[in-house]
Amino acid sequence: MSTDYGHGDASLALDGNAVAGLLGELFAFDVTTARLTCDGCGTIGEIATARVYGGTMGAILRCVHCDFALIRFVKTPAGYALDMQGARRIFIAR
Amino acid sequence: MRATEVAPSRLQWLIATVSDVIDETPRTRSLVLDVPGWPGHRAGQHLDVRLTGEDGYRAQRSYSIASAPEDAHVSITVERIEDGEVSPYLAGDVRRGDQFELRGPIGGYFMWTAPLGGPLFLVAGGSGIVPLMAMLRHRANAKSNATAVLLYSSRTQGDIIYRAELDALAAKNDGLKVVHTLTRETPAGWSGGTRRIDREMLGEAGFAPAERPRIFICGPTPLVESAARSLSDLGHEPALIKTERFGPTGG
Repeated sequence: MSTDYGHGDASLALDGNAVAGLLGELFAFDVTTARLTCDGCGTIGEIATARVYGGTMGAILRCVHCDFALIRFVKTPAGYALDMQGARRIFIAR
Repeated sequence: MRATEVAPSRLQWLIATVSDVIDETPRTRSLVLDVPGWPGHRAGQHLDVRLTGEDGYRAQRSYSIASAPEDAHVSITVERIEDGEVSPYLAGDVRRGDQFELRGPIGGYFMWTAPLGGPLFLVAGGSGIVPLMAMLRHRANAKSNATAVLLYSSRTQGDIIYRAELDALAAKNDGLKVVHTLTRETPAGWSGGTRRIDREMLGEAGFAPAERPRIFICGPTPLVESAARSLSDLGHEPALIKTERFGPTGG
């Protein structure tokens, strides 16, 4: 993998694998295999499969079926800001 | 494979020292790294590299781990991107003894271990070969006879990364078939494919859906999405198709 900064063009988007390191600064579980339920369409998918637009300091993860924003997050000097209202539920296998 | 077996518990940045530099193709280079404290990894995972300039400026990129889990050192293979911020250094100026920060391993989704078995269908576009090569190196170390096919698209013959090693692995006749295709060149005497990966090529090179191959696709986003869609159209279960997208221009 090598990370890039696509903005809005689906052919430039990456996937949840690209932000796993950054999300890993917050979560102690493996985010790539965690499953999100899209609040827009109900589709359940692993974070690794979400469409991602962003870079090393933040990103938007979108549902591949309906393009709804599942998670928006940004890392600032003050802290991490996470908006997960687009992800109705998250499932982490044990 | 339980998620907790590969889940990182909040990774720390470690110091990597470059112990060897291997020019793979005119555009790519492998870095063999000494990383004290490296916890080990599974084939398919990646790591983050962080460079800090003298003025404190930091640049960070993710790279797939090229080495097999059994190797003594961690290695990555970096493609030099025009106007990139990090790759001109890692695939250009870097020297043995240089140090930078690194954290990993990251990502349990795009991962294969020999106990998972096959058949294994690996589809690579350009530098997308890197995590799949880790899988093939692991497969060889584990002496797995899981049937495997690698379909690998490169621009030109000279751009094929790990060419000699792939030839050697295929020559072992242990159930691995390697199929190359070139998108910008047809060398004299070339017997591989001469176009972009498409549904017909995937259907011909790979396994029948009834064999339920584990499929891993890695490369630029357009190639990955097109191949995943084609394989799903061919009848493969979406749950068995795993994808990892690289940026078209990385850095």
